[in-house]
Amino acid sequence: MSSRVLPDFELFIPTSLAECLDILARQGDKATVMAGGTDILVMMKASFRPDIVVSLVEVPGLDAFEWDAAKGLRLGAAVTVSQLLASAEVRRHYPALWQAAENFATPQIRNRATVIGNLLRASPAGDCSCAILALGGTVVFAGPAGRREVDIDKLWLAYNVTARKPDELAVELRLPPPGAGTRSGFHRLTRVNEDLAKLNAAVRLEMDGTICKSARMAMGCVGPTMLRLPKCEAAVTGKTLDETVLKSLQDIVQSEISPIDDKRSTAEYRRSVAGVVLKRIIRHALEA
Amino acid sequence: MKKRDITLTVNGEVMEVTVAANQTLLEVLRETIELTDTKYGCGTGECGACTVLVDGSKPILSCLTLAATMNGKSITTAAGLAKDGELHPVQQAFVEEAGIQCGFCTPGMVLKTVSILAENPHPSEDEIRHKLEGNICRCTGYAKIVKSVQRAADLMSAGKAAE
Repeated sequence: MSSRVLPDFELFIPTSLAECLDILARQGDKATVMAGGTDILVMMKASFRPDIVVSLVEVPGLDAFEWDAAKGLRLGAAVTVSQLLASAEVRRHYPALWQAAENFATPQIRNRATVIGNLLRASPAGDCSCAILALGGTVVFAGPAGRREVDIDKLWLAYNVTARKPDELAVELRLPPPGAGTRSGFHRLTRVNEDLAKLNAAVRLEMDGTICKSARMAMGCVGPTMLRLPKCEAAVTGKTLDETVLKSLQDIVQSEISPIDDKRSTAEYRRSVAGVVLKRIIRHALEA
Repeated sequence: MKKRDITLTVNGEVMEVTVAANQTLLEVLRETIELTDTKYGCGTGECGACTVLVDGSKPILSCLTLAATMNGKSITTAAGLAKDGELHPVQQAFVEEAGIQCGFCTPGMVLKTVSILAENPHPSEDEIRHKLEGNICRCTGYAKIVKSVQRAADLMSAGKAAE
């Protein structure tokens, strides 16, 4: 059960990136980084008891939001889901991510929740996480030894565990620019929008006319982390995406997912809809 | 626990408050500043009863905001909407359309409506319903709340036309 009162913790509000990294270097894994706080404060009202919380609210320079046709999209750690939704570039060039933002929680949460925070939460249900895994990209970590880029495919190691080291801060997300034939889309199933997804999925397709040259597919709420679907991707690569190919995904996806029964849905339902959701996203992405 | 002194502008009034690290903005509004119009509903970001507006018209959840991270911010609560004893057009619309039953969700609903109409002065019903997500009413079933938002849009555009 949640409590009305937050537990005691020490709060740091650094005013520079260097100060923030210094705190993380000294405190290590005792410190929890908080951007929007929409996940962490809920967890702290339940059972999470961090000794130290480091708020990013006063760290300057984390608000980058840059689109470049040659370089793609750069998003700083302070960029909120609302900012994605307000961006004509995101809507046009990364429809999967825009659609995830549109369906992400509620306006109040979107105004505070950050895109990078959604990635670092390492939840198998994250909507932006799902879209970003399908789109591909890298997360830039800043640490005492400088910066390193981690491919989104290598970000999530287990439930709630990422490749971030305790002395590092995720400062930026980089998404590659789409090509002329790039199509993408996202869809999720929920009872009401406030809920986390019963199941979410996203695709990115590189099309050459009617032929799919390559594909990335991601599905959430069907395993301990957000999952890539390499067998489904292989099944559409080099093919015309007709009804037969799309229908085949329903069987193929079964060997790639391991859903469970929980309070939001059942394993049986998730297995039944997994292929249907993929088919709908692909159809919709190709029509757009 | 270490306390911090922060400056908040609440409903136009600048104030210095001392807050603990683990105090939410909601607790500071209700208990320190003694403005009880902002409600504690679920405490976990589902219900929207604790909605306040930041820097004009951006709705956030005060129960999921550490007060200490709001230094220098401007906060509007429902109590800050009326001017010179006159209800804000959104409040007036909720009264006229009876978009209120028990009233617990109303401050959040009213502030959410202000934010919806700031983004789009003439939203469609679908848009209203989508953007009201995050504010739960357990009494009415929303029909009268949607009507209240539509009425508020009419009142506000009529007010603009009269200026």
